[in-house]
Parts: sequence; structure tokens; C-alpha cells
Amino acid sequence: MTLFAFRGVKSHGWTFYDPINIMSKFFIKLIFITALIIPMVFLCAVPSSAQDDEEDYEAVLELGQKVYEVRCALCHGVKGDGKGIVGVIRRAEKIGRVIETHARDLTLGLFRFRTTPTGCLPDDEDLMNIISRGILISFMPSHEKLPLVEREALVEYVKFFSGRWEEEDPCDPIEVRKPDWVGSRVSVDKGEEVYRAMKCGECHGYEGKGDGPKSNDIFDDWGKRIVPFNFATGELKRGSSAENIYFTFTTGLDGTGMPSYEDSLEEEDRWHLVSYTLKLMNKLN
Amino acid sequence: MYQRFYTALLIVSSVALFIFTLMAGYREITPDYKSYKSEYRDLFRSKATGEFMKKKAESIDFSVQQVYLGKLNRIDRCINCHLGVENPLMEDAEVPFKMHSGNYLETHPVAEFGCTVCHYGQGRATNAEDAHGTDRETHWDWPILPLKYIDSACAQCHDQEMLAENGADRVLRGEKQFVEKGCRGCHKVNGIGGVLGKALDGIGTQPRAYFPMRYVQGDKTAYTWLKEHFDDPRSIVPESEMRIVLLKDEDADLLTTYILTIRADEMPRDYRRIRTGTQEVPGGEELYKMYCIACHTTGKYSVYDEIFKRTIPAIMNPTFLRVADDNQLRRFIEDGRANTQMTDWKEDAAGLTDDEIGRIVEFLAKSRPAKRGKLFGRSIFDGDTARGRDIYETRCALCHGEDGMGGKNRLGISLVTPVVKEADPEFLLQTVRDGREGTPMIPFGSSGINLSDQDILDVVGYVRTIKPTASPKE
Amino acid sequence: MENSKETGIKKLLENIKKLKSSMAASYIREGKPESDMSRAAVMFNNFFLHFQGVKTHLNTLRPTYTFGLGLIALFLLVFTTISGFLLMIYYNPSIEHAYNTVKDIRYVVFGGDLTRNIHKWAGEGMLIFVILHMARVLYTGSYKRGREFNWVIGIVLLSLTFVLNFTGYLLPWDQLSYWALVIGSNIAQSPKEITDILGITKFFDIGGFQKELLLGGTIPGKETLTRVYFLHIMLLPLFLFTFLGAHFWRVRKDGGLTKPDDFVPSISPEKMGGIFTTHKTYGLMALARGKTPAVDRDVENTVLSWPHLLRAETAVFMLTLAGVLIYSYFVSAPLKELAAPLIPENPAKAPWYFLGLQELVSYSAFMGGIALPSLALLGLGLIPYLDREQDHVGVWFSSRQGLYVTITSFIVGTAVLIGILVIVINFGWFRNWWPDVPQVLITLVNPGTIWVAFTIAWSVLVINRTDSTRMGALALFTLFLLSFLILTYVGTELRGPNWEFYWSRSQWPVH
Repeated sequence: MTLFAFRGVKSHGWTFYDPINIMSKFFIKLIFITALIIPMVFLCAVPSSAQDDEEDYEAVLELGQKVYEVRCALCHGVKGDGKGIVGVIRRAEKIGRVIETHARDLTLGLFRFRTTPTGCLPDDEDLMNIISRGILISFMPSHEKLPLVEREALVEYVKFFSGRWEEEDPCDPIEVRKPDWVGSRVSVDKGEEVYRAMKCGECHGYEGKGDGPKSNDIFDDWGKRIVPFNFATGELKRGSSAENIYFTFTTGLDGTGMPSYEDSLEEEDRWHLVSYTLKLMNKLN
Repeated sequence: MYQRFYTALLIVSSVALFIFTLMAGYREITPDYKSYKSEYRDLFRSKATGEFMKKKAESIDFSVQQVYLGKLNRIDRCINCHLGVENPLMEDAEVPFKMHSGNYLETHPVAEFGCTVCHYGQGRATNAEDAHGTDRETHWDWPILPLKYIDSACAQCHDQEMLAENGADRVLRGEKQFVEKGCRGCHKVNGIGGVLGKALDGIGTQPRAYFPMRYVQGDKTAYTWLKEHFDDPRSIVPESEMRIVLLKDEDADLLTTYILTIRADEMPRDYRRIRTGTQEVPGGEELYKMYCIACHTTGKYSVYDEIFKRTIPAIMNPTFLRVADDNQLRRFIEDGRANTQMTDWKEDAAGLTDDEIGRIVEFLAKSRPAKRGKLFGRSIFDGDTARGRDIYETRCALCHGEDGMGGKNRLGISLVTPVVKEADPEFLLQTVRDGREGTPMIPFGSSGINLSDQDILDVVGYVRTIKPTASPKE
Repeated sequence: MENSKETGIKKLLENIKKLKSSMAASYIREGKPESDMSRAAVMFNNFFLHFQGVKTHLNTLRPTYTFGLGLIALFLLVFTTISGFLLMIYYNPSIEHAYNTVKDIRYVVFGGDLTRNIHKWAGEGMLIFVILHMARVLYTGSYKRGREFNWVIGIVLLSLTFVLNFTGYLLPWDQLSYWALVIGSNIAQSPKEITDILGITKFFDIGGFQKELLLGGTIPGKETLTRVYFLHIMLLPLFLFTFLGAHFWRVRKDGGLTKPDDFVPSISPEKMGGIFTTHKTYGLMALARGKTPAVDRDVENTVLSWPHLLRAETAVFMLTLAGVLIYSYFVSAPLKELAAPLIPENPAKAPWYFLGLQELVSYSAFMGGIALPSLALLGLGLIPYLDREQDHVGVWFSSRQGLYVTITSFIVGTAVLIGILVIVINFGWFRNWWPDVPQVLITLVNPGTIWVAFTIAWSVLVINRTDSTRMGALALFTLFLLSFLILTYVGTELRGPNWEFYWSRSQWPVH
């Protein structure tokens, strides 16, 4: 069903990185799903009760566990503690620096790539996004080809590892409205000022090469050494579009040294910073 | 007719001509070096004590002086400004009058060696800018050598051991860097070495045009180019695929010093003082460093490489060595791995002798565990490929890709290369069962996945049927 | 004896006393040029001055008529010759020493750098002034009335100037020389394109022969340098001076410079030196057929060459010398790295005056290198024979209509040529559109041939519209001049590595 829904889209060379495309994919997918599932729901599950819900949840979790153990546990560990048998994965950057990648420990409920404000849990869509799209740079593969039901089950199962999900609810996602002037020369210049003022260079390097003075001793909340992003090489893990960069500034990357600037910078300044970042990444013509 | 016009023209032209003739004449009779000479004479006068020295100070010749070196085919006019190089009174004078440091001129008298033989630069020139030749507009290919690389010039005549004994050990240390960073894994020198990079023969004497200077920050000279290129190859040549293990500033300087000794020319016999000692035969470990380490590093774990956009295998991990015997290892090295960056190293390709390859294999084999893996005892692939396909898609496709091509942002290597296609059954079967320690290839025969031997036979059977698709997916 | 001895010494002393005046008298046999007669005799009896008439037409002296262009070209030739002699003392034409000796000339020879600059800039200046002189001759219609063949000699001199400049460019044996030589030899080889198409290269490789003749081998080497040196200092100057002699001789035989038939002097010539009546100095003219300049009117409008013409000439001489010296004082002749056969200059460019041709060569080697330049020279040479209207000689652009035709041709030609170039630069040519197109089609139809076809068509159109061949000549020459200008500019400034288009040098990708 979903395979059918996506084949046409994919063959037109859409990439994983572009969120607009991914959003559109979601819309197409949603239309298909609503078109197919809603009648089924009406046909099969009209009489529902609390007990049925409970049973359904159990069934979903069971499916989730099955998929998780085949597809995810190799890296993330059966217990979700990130201690799967694959272990450390090494990646040599162009500059010769070797980055050690550890599978995400899911038990803390800390996630980097969210659309929700800092400190919040990600919403289901965020999790679904990552599962579907993967984080290719960190070797988290895309699971787009899994049936949607299985992915939804995975989302539920992933939440099962951390107690946080029982205690709190995800916040509302942040709204993104990209102004037209992002990427303009004026905006880039202002962004550079913000970059200076906020001392981004201390970690990311004064020329954005990820070689700032503090870059060698940054550890994440799991105690693993991490390296600040080098704008001159490589793509961002969550995708390199303006919106994604804006999300990074606004939501922060929880669990790492990258804070949220939602409170410390005006929205406009964050967009200026996006412009400057795009320039550092050589994505402006 | 038009008398006044022509007369005016005549007068104006004549006046201009007169003025410029005077100016040109003045420029001719006051070259830079003459002012240096008079400055030097004053300095000399003030320092001279004895009658003899005073006389010497007065007798400075103001015409152009030059050292003609027939055998070296050089004419050096440096001494017209660097006047005090042989004058002990000038020990604490400022450059250019300063006496030459050290006792080098005792053994290398200027009259016999000139200056440019060690310092390079344009000996014929008579003004500082052209003589030093650092500026690109001077159009001189071999500008003056910065002092931090000066040891490289000594190596034209002296062997490194002698230099190291006498304090000029930077060439030797540079060579150590050259060997240990595995430069020859990609670069040929004297016909031996990998093929991924440019051959380095004669690079020390290459004209400037050989080096694309566009992104060079400092002087646009070959020396700065090399140094900055070692600091960050892609900042100088953006599309460069050069791998370089993060070098310290000092190391980059040393490496530059060594690289500059790889010259295309040779000193005349009379000047050379190279002792021909017995050359040490490099051992397996040394050879591994020289040719392999740049990509395989320690060989203990595999690394996904952003330059090659693929995973570089761990060739010294025990599980690999357990399935690959010496003959296989030798074959891998001799014939290379088609479709990868691993070139064929045999003598008529990258130039390693059988003996040298043998020593590398011997070195690798040191890490081989004593116990061999349990044999499958198969000599042909007879798995059920349809069943194998199912297993592949759930278990393998995540890393190797559904198309089996590996490649960009995938942990697995390509399974459609001849490497896999031509491997013998035992090698592949055991690899799947026992995995590869230190790499993301886990032992599928155990560790919770527990594929049965039949499963493995099937999946390997299927893998061998995968056809390469047109281009690796990105 | 004693007496005579004394007298002998006395005589000697006397002679020594009179040395100055007797030497002067022996040189200027007519005494001081104080009378008209002696002034005339100065011109007439002096070897160097007798190339010029005793009397000079007032029109010749008008600065805005000749602008002294031919004279400047001549003086530049004198300067290159003299500075060339000086350079030859030090220069050594061998590939081991050529570059080093040039460096020595630059660094240690007294005035060496300046001499080299003068040689270089006077040589290239000659090129410019020869072309300007040619333009003046054409626009004033001075190729008519017996001067037809002198125009052809002028074309030969122009070609020799080009070749002399080119051979000189090769002598320093630096990177510029070497790669210009490579380009030059490739142009010499370009008939290969046509023989290849005909499939007869195996039997008749004229291109290969020309290349080997120039290089003395297949790549530039020591034989090449010897050849080029011989051409530069010996053979070509020999030809140049011979033809130059003929050029002046004919100017003189044709009665000096052209002048308008209805010339009215602004000042009465009588005031300038009187009418010459007592002595006939232009007797040889009587032997010449046709009109002679010695008819009344000419005499009316002439003045004595001494001092009027000589003053003008001296002024131009001084102006030229000062100009060359000042330019050479400030601008150094280029000298790049030692020739390195393995390191191509990218872009490898010919000297600037050949870059228009190189642009054409980039379309088609044969057409750009051989056919079109030959056609251009041929066309220029034929102008006096195709335009035989004999009116309006000596008048700039002949008439208002001529000026109009020239300006129109200039504007239309500029538009068309730039249009063609824009198409080529933006969209490429046949090879980019249909990769399998046969080479013969490109050879025949390329931007160069299209442009030449246009110039011919335009000139014919002009003749048809104006019913005047003179107008056609003006149009044709204007277009020739224009293509030289624009193509040279494009080749020099707008072409970068791999002959790609760039707006400026700073945009070149590497180096």
C-alpha cells in the first residue's frame, strides 16, 4: 500500500534532504492513508471500547518490538541502551579527523532532532521522520520501505524505553515561516555579526570549520566525545535546508553542547544566522 | 607653414627627451646595489680597526661583482648586496650585511659554491625583488628557500645520515614522516608506489606553474604551496582526494623539507659527498607503514571514509586474517581490489617486489589467531537464492543496500565487486558467520541473530547473483 | 727646400686651422643654406635627403593630413634597428644561453633593460603605426593615380613587420616565446586540416612541411632558435629595407604625397620662401609619363623642403624618440619563466597582434591560420585595382558620402561581428550542436568565413547602392580594420584558459 504510494514520488529523484519534499511526501502519504484507512476503520473498528484500545496498544507494542529487534537492536541494543553488538562506528572526515559514532541511547528520552522546543520530548511526527528518513551521515539507515504500520509501531516502541514519555507530553511543534530575504547578502552579513556576537566560533571555529578553541573537549550527555559541525565539509544530519537549520537554532540539540537560541535570539536574528550558515556551507550561489 | 606648430612640437619633444634621458641615465648609474655598497662601506669603516682592515674597507669595488660557477652553470650576483657574508666583523650586523651564520662558508667558500646552490633564488638578478624571486611577477621558478626548509638543499650533495650527525636532521625526520604517513600508498617515487596520487619524482625542482596557486595564502611559491597543502589539501586543491592524517605544523614543515629533496637534477660529481652505505632492507612493518597506513591506519577497525565515500576495511583484524590465508593476502595485495582504491601492487604495476609483498603479508599474519574457524567444507555455492534473498533483505540490506552496492553513507562494502564475486566459498561463508571484529560486520552466526549454516549458504548464494546496477546510488 | 718645408708646415697649420670649415664645406658643398639655391642644393646633393623633393607641397606639411604616421613608423624602424644592434652584442641565440643572456642584458648591461624595452616597444609600435599609416593612405585615397603598386609594396611591408615582430618575440626563449612558437607552428601546420579532408596528407603534407620548415624539427628546439634568429636579424630586415627603399622611391617618383586637386593654401607660399625660378632641380621628372608635379600649380603651392619639411621631420623624429623613451622608461618588456616544454602556458597565446588570428584559428585552423589572412591580404592588395575612380584623391574619406559610408560600415560591422561572437560564445558552433558533423563543413562554414563573407557582401552592397567603387573600398577597409581591432581585443582580453570566454583575467579559474 505505502510502497505503491511512494514509488512514483521516489522515481522522480527526490532526495532525503529536502524537508519540503519530505513534507509533501507526508501529505501524499496522508492522503493515501486517509483514503484507504478511514473506510477500513469505519468498516472494521466502529464499535470500540477502552479494553479494545488497551489490547490494540499491546498488539502495536508487540509488533514494534518485533521490528525493533530485527532492524534496530543490532546498533541500539535490545534494551535500547545504545549498546548493540555493532558497537562504535568510525567515520574519517575529509580533514582526517576520525569521528566515532555511538548508537543513540534511547533510555534517557533525549532526542536531538525535534521540532519541539528545547527540553521537550519530540512529537510522534519527529520520531517517524527520523525512522523513515534515517540519519544517513551517522549511518542510521532509512526505513522508508517498511510498511507504515510497522513504523508507527516502532515509534510507540521507542517511547517505551524511557520513562519520560509517561511523565510528560511532547510540546507543540515550533512553527516555521521562512522569510524571503534569507540568503540575501544583507542577511548573510547580519548573520555573521550574530555568529560573532553569540561566540559560535568558539566551538564551530571562526571560519566555521569546526575547529574552534573549545572544539576538542566537548562531550555529550552520555559522556561521549563529540565534535562541532564543520560547515566547510559535509551536510547536516537533519538535512541542510534553511528550515532545518532554523530548527537546529530554535530547538537546540538536546543532549549536546548546542543550545537552543529560542530565548536568546530574536526570530529574525536566527534567520540571519541561517543565511550565514548557508553561506558557510557554500549553499548560496 | 605650420612653422610654429612644428617648432613647438620640436621643443616640447626635445625637452621631454632630454629630461627622460637624464632620468634613465640616473636610474642606470644608481642601481640598488650601489647604495647597499656605500652603506656597507660606511659600516665597515666604522667597525674596522687595523690598518689592513681599514684599507680593505676603502677598496670596496662599486661595480657589479659576480661568482661564476662553470660546473654548476651558475652566475651569482648576491654578493653585491650581501656584502659581509665572509667578513667576521659583520657578525652582528643587520641583513643584508650580516656575516653568514655557522661555519658553513669555511667548508663551502663563496668563490667555489656561490649562494644559489644552497639558497636558490635568481643569482643573475641585481635587485632584491628579482633575486629573491618570491613574488610571482618576478617569473622566477626557484625562489629563495625559506630557512626552515634549508636542510633540503644540503641533501643535494650530502647523505642524510651525515646531515643528521651534523645537526641538519630535518631531512631525516621529514623522511620518517613521509614513510610513516604512508605517502607512497598513493604516490609513486622512482616508479614505486600507488597510483591514486601524482608521482612525486622531481617535485623539488618543479617550476612554479606546476602548482596551482589560486588558494595559497602566503607567498606564491612551491614551498608555501607544499606546506599549506600538507596543512589542508582541500584548501589548496578543492577537489583533492589526498588523505592526510592531521599533521602538526612542525610535521608539515618537515615533510615539506623532505619533499623538496626529491629533485630531478643531480649535482656535478665534484660537489657530491654522498656516502654509499649499505641500504637497510625495510621490514614488514616499515613497508606496511610506507604503503598501507595512509588508508588502512592501524588496520584494527574499519573506517567509513568521506573522501573515498566508502568503508575502508580493517585488514589486521583477527577474524579477517583467520579466513584469509597467506596466499590469499598475497593475491589481494598483488592484484589489488578492482573497483576500489586498492591498486595492484605487483612489480609491474605499483612496483613492489615479490619479496616485499611477502614481508608485508608476514607482518599482517602476525595478528592471525592460532585457531582457524570451523570449516563449512563447501567448494561451490549451492544455497537457495530465493530464500537467501529474503534473509538478505531483512539482515543485510540495511548496511549493504538493497542493490548490494555499498557506497555513500552505507556501512557495508560493495558486494558486487570482483572481490566478492571471485572469492572462494569458505571465505565468504565464514565471513558472514563470524563477522569482522572491529567493524560493523557482526557475526551473523551468533550474537543473537544466529543464522544457521543453511541460512548463510542461502544468503551468500543470493549475494553472488546480485548484478551491479548502472551507478552506485547516492 | 727649407722654404718649401716651412711652407709645407705652414700649410699644414693653416689646414688644421681651417679644419672645421673645410670639413663642413666638404660635407655641405654648397655652403650655408642661406639662399634658395643652396637650400635646394642641400636637399639635392645629400644622399640621405635626396629621397625628398627640393620643394614640398604645402598639403604634405599639414599635420592633420598625414599625422606623420608613415614617418613615425620609419623612425621606429630606425630605433629598433639601432637598439637591435646593441642587443646583438650580448644576445646569444642558443637555447642554453638565450634566456640567460637576456637576463644579463636586463640586470648588468648598462642601459640594457632600457635598450631591450626600446627595441620591443618600437617594434610593436611600428606595427601599430604601419597599420595607421595604411589607414591614412586608404582613407585619403592615396593609392590612386600611379600609386597602386606602391600600395601593394606597403602590404608586403606590413606582412614583413608582422613576421619580424613575431620572430623577435621568440628570441628570449622564455615561456611566452616557447608557447607562441608552438601556436605559430600549429598555424603553419594548419593546411593539414584541408589535406586531411581531401585525404592526401600522406602524399602532400604541405602543413607538416611548413611546420618543419619553421621549427627545423617537430618540436621547438635549438634548430628553431637558429632559424628564427637568422630570419629576425638577417633575412627579414634585408627584405624589409629593400622593399622600404622601393616604397620611398615610388613615393618620390609619384610626385610626393597626394594632395587635393583643389588645394588652396591658407598662407601664401611666397611668404614662406619664394618661388623657385632660376634652377631646375626636378629634371628627371620630365622623363616620367603622365602628369608631372612640375606643372605651375604645384610650384605655386610648394615651399622649400629646407627648412620647412626638415623641421617637421625633425619634430616628428624627436616626438617619436621621446615617446618611445618615455614608454620604455615606465613599461618593461615582458620576460617570463624559462621555456619549459612540459608546462603549457594555459592559455597558450600568440603575441597580441596575432590573437585576432588565433581567435579565428579557434574556429578552424586552416581558415583562421592560412585562408582568411591570405584572403585579407589579397583583398587589401587588390583594392587599388578594383577601385579605379580617380577623383577626390587626397581628401579624407573623399567626400561627405565617404565619411557616411565609413561610419555606417563601422557601426553595422561592429554590430554584426559582436553578434557573431556572442552566438559563438554563448551557443558554440556546429561541433557543439551536432557532434558528428563532418570537419569539412566546419572548415567552410565557421564564424570566420561567415564574417569574411559578410564583409564582401557588405562592400558589394555599398558599391551597388552608391554606384562608386571607392565607397566599396572604404567599406571593405573599415570592416578589415574593425575585425582586426575587435578580434584582437577578444583574443587578448576575453579569452582565458582553454580559450574559454571570461569577462576579465581575474575570473580565470587557476593561476
